[in-house]
Amino acid sequence: MKSVISALSAKLQSGEWSSLYLTEKYIKEIERRNPKLNAYVHLTFDEARKNAEAADVMISEGRATPLTGIPFTLKDNIATDGLLTTCCSKILQGLKPYYNATVWQKLKAQGAVLLGKTNMDEFAMGSTSETSYFGAPLNPVDTTRVTGGSSGGGAAAVCANLAAYALGSDTGGSIRQPASFCGVVGFKPTYGAVSRYGLLAYGSSLDQIGPITSSVTDAALVYDAIRGDDKADGTSCPTPDGKTVLRGDVKNLKIGVAKEYFEGISPEIKGAIDNMIAEYERAGAQIVEVSIPALKLALPVYYIIACAEASSNLGRYDGIRYGYRAKNYTSVDDMITKTRTQGFGKEVKKRIMLGTYVLSSGYFDAYYKKACLLRKTVESQMAEAFEKCDVLFAPTAPNTAFKQGYSGGNAVETYLSDVCTVPVNIAGLPAISIPCGVDKNGMPVGMQIIGKKFSDALVLDTAYYAERENLSLCADVEGGVKL
Amino acid sequence: MSVDQKTIKTLARLSRLEFSDEEIEKFAPEFEEIIDFANRINEQVSGDTESIREVVTRTVGWEDLREDEVKESLPNEKITSNVQAENGYFPVRRVVK
Amino acid sequence: MKYRLVSGLETHVELATATKIFCGCTTAFGGAPNTHCCPVCTGQPGTLPVLNKKVVEYAIRAGLATHCTINTTTHLDRKNYCYPDLPKAYQISQFDKPLCEHGYVELESGKRIGITRIHIEEDAGKLVHESGYTYIDYNRGGVPLIEIVSEPDISSPEEAKEYVEKLQLIMRYIGVSDCKMQEGSMRCDVNISVMPDGATEFGTRTEIKNMNSISYIEKAMGYEYRRQIEVIESGGKIVQATLRYDEHSGETSVMRTKEDAQDYRYFPEPDILTVVIPEEKVDEIRASLPELPTDKLHRYICELKINPATAKLLYKYKRVCDFAEKAFALGAGVKNTVNLIVGTLYSKLETEEDKEKFLLPVTAEEMAKLVKLADEGKINITLAQKTLAKMAEEGKPVSEYIRPADIAGMDDGELEIICRQAVEANPAAVADFKAGKDKAIFALYGFVKKATQGKADIKKPDAIIKKLIK
Repeated sequence: MKSVISALSAKLQSGEWSSLYLTEKYIKEIERRNPKLNAYVHLTFDEARKNAEAADVMISEGRATPLTGIPFTLKDNIATDGLLTTCCSKILQGLKPYYNATVWQKLKAQGAVLLGKTNMDEFAMGSTSETSYFGAPLNPVDTTRVTGGSSGGGAAAVCANLAAYALGSDTGGSIRQPASFCGVVGFKPTYGAVSRYGLLAYGSSLDQIGPITSSVTDAALVYDAIRGDDKADGTSCPTPDGKTVLRGDVKNLKIGVAKEYFEGISPEIKGAIDNMIAEYERAGAQIVEVSIPALKLALPVYYIIACAEASSNLGRYDGIRYGYRAKNYTSVDDMITKTRTQGFGKEVKKRIMLGTYVLSSGYFDAYYKKACLLRKTVESQMAEAFEKCDVLFAPTAPNTAFKQGYSGGNAVETYLSDVCTVPVNIAGLPAISIPCGVDKNGMPVGMQIIGKKFSDALVLDTAYYAERENLSLCADVEGGVKL
Repeated sequence: MSVDQKTIKTLARLSRLEFSDEEIEKFAPEFEEIIDFANRINEQVSGDTESIREVVTRTVGWEDLREDEVKESLPNEKITSNVQAENGYFPVRRVVK
Repeated sequence: MKYRLVSGLETHVELATATKIFCGCTTAFGGAPNTHCCPVCTGQPGTLPVLNKKVVEYAIRAGLATHCTINTTTHLDRKNYCYPDLPKAYQISQFDKPLCEHGYVELESGKRIGITRIHIEEDAGKLVHESGYTYIDYNRGGVPLIEIVSEPDISSPEEAKEYVEKLQLIMRYIGVSDCKMQEGSMRCDVNISVMPDGATEFGTRTEIKNMNSISYIEKAMGYEYRRQIEVIESGGKIVQATLRYDEHSGETSVMRTKEDAQDYRYFPEPDILTVVIPEEKVDEIRASLPELPTDKLHRYICELKINPATAKLLYKYKRVCDFAEKAFALGAGVKNTVNLIVGTLYSKLETEEDKEKFLLPVTAEEMAKLVKLADEGKINITLAQKTLAKMAEEGKPVSEYIRPADIAGMDDGELEIICRQAVEANPAAVADFKAGKDKAIFALYGFVKKATQGKADIKKPDAIIKKLIK
């Protein structure tokens, strides 16, 4: 893997390309390829050109940062002042927020160039991006397959070189799983390391913004640019000063392998990960077996907590202040009910209903309260595992990218595909997914590296070893902006 | 586990959603499937789940709270920029046929 | 059969912070619609609440002033319900860990009304229904409130009135709210049930929502008490319900019954972490509390020997008390000070609010100077009153009205001459006095007052005249 951001930045710094020139190249490629791939749902080319001009000034004045002038995308659930932000839902049609998410504000200040908003499952509820109101994005590696989700559009855009990097959000794997399906890198930082202000909430105690990139180096650069305490987000917290240093130092690193992570995983995926583990062992890392019995509880716990929070978070979509409003109704109450009934998709309604159920009187103790207790069990068992190792290696998903339309049939089976990613969100840990070979169909396999809370730098550095040694290769797709 | 129509209707009312009887018919089994899935939290797990060790939950202290200092509000045109405002209000016509 | 009234109140008090509970918008009353708003208090998707420190501090103040224990580890919860004035479709409130618990308010009889809990929460916006439209204004949305929940210890409308007035007084004293019921910065929900005398189980209760005047609370309670007894006596059953009170008809009517009761689906607010308040902070707030109204009243009566009627006219107004106490500290006598305040200054402060604000241009320093002149007999009380009235109007110092020379000139010799003249000029009055008509001496006082232009206190001439007449 190569750092796309560093390479592009070098061209901009040397004056070989201007940011505006680079931006136009991306725009041309997006115009050419996006109609098929459907990675972007809202294009912000006017904004991009303005950003690029500002970036060129920054560069000429010697005020450039590593991300200055580099074109990127935001998931459609990150608020952008005056620019459509719709969570790929009909209910938010036309919504132009009048404030910026903290991450966009930070990137804008560093001269980033916003190309557009990328496709996703409606309100980030899904693992294939097929619940998007705008239709699913296609996996650039094999367009008959899904991108994964929910940040599928961002992963597709990065994979197809239609953006240098993307910001996604990860509530139960929504950055890592699509990154794995599209053969790119996806990093979910520690809960609180990146401000959630401006992220349209799904499961507030689980949601975290992070980068989708073509390399671990890029992931670290973007992470450094967006992280840190934010007064506007009371759940955010300070992160270490300075740049995340990548050395790929894995000698004596203790890598934990929990057998529970490999139950029900396809042999191909298990084989790919075993190979990677063996490479690290050869480099001097120690492999430690650990056990996290409560891991299998993580999935139902996740769905209960995420849906409970979602049922509350999505209550505000009532047609009064923004977005879609039902056309005919008999009272304000009726307007609200009709707006929501017509505005939300099927999966969203199902999760709202589940969330309402687990919070309602009579069921609260049996579901929500119990799930909160079990969440602590998962958290505590993971913490226990980290007493024996520095990082955990695990598959990102039990399978590679499905065929389009497959998940429509069996809801629960699709939920099960989140089994490897949700424990990290439950426990608020940092984790990265890096490419780890391909299956027999040539579809990318992803491997997760998981760290304890606030060991984001260690997670990135561990992943960087695979990048440095060319053990991890991003999918190589025709087209897009290439160096 | 079976979820009866009445429960679904109550949940729909609380969720401000509407389902026709026909839709409930279709929705009920799907919803049951999900409830069954949620019930997996009751599955026994090998290993020690009883003695949950104290997990450190993050808290905030006095200094982390916001100071009571006025920040300028946004102009009304911004606040109401996503609707057709009337005299600065968010209007909802009570009946639209 | 006789029935006991059992009632508890839920009182919402708007806190006098500068900004809203979760954002920096002003809490100022009024304003053009949707102009005290930002992305946070209008519930723009993606925004997050950040808790205002002062709200926590004020709630703790309120808790300490009502003898509550403070939960130093506290968190907020979401109360989910959908209504157009609630932009997030949930109100951030507190459910199972309120900031304050287990306190009381003492009534004059010594009876204590228990405080179950005090928690913090946000106010909703305002709806205007007009010509087929509902118009929504979120200026009030996010204004901080505390909800003070009492135990069902109230057993009459009069007690309810006194309890609410006491709460008002305490909250104003400690500076956490102006408690203006007419502006909505204080409002009550009243829970009522009745039970036959001697019964041990509470009857089914009803709740009258959103009362914004003390007299309506009294009237509504009276009405509801009688209504419930009537229902029971005629063999009916009380239905648990939420009621509204119609101030014109004086009757209550059903808003909703238990069947369609809300299910608020409370759960911990994930956007705000648990707050841990250091014990030292609570101690600091406790130390900063002023003397509370009941304590002050006791002190005025028992220690300062102010007569109870006067003390009651004073203690309700903290600024007045501060003024008086400052004058005391500067050497002004208690009796003259309080009589001048109640007699003269209060006539310039007609409304409760005027007394509350106490915006007269008289400083405690000047007040003390004036009172001391009266205390020392250098001027009589009438002149003191007249002077004070002028000072309150014109804001000038005492020396503008009473010159040192005026007071100094009135030595005992001079006074004796004037008294002699008074006796000589009023033989009839002297005769009457000698004949036992005590009041006759007032004619002589009048003469002296006129001749001295009020500069002499009446005690001295009184002694001189009586000596002369003997």
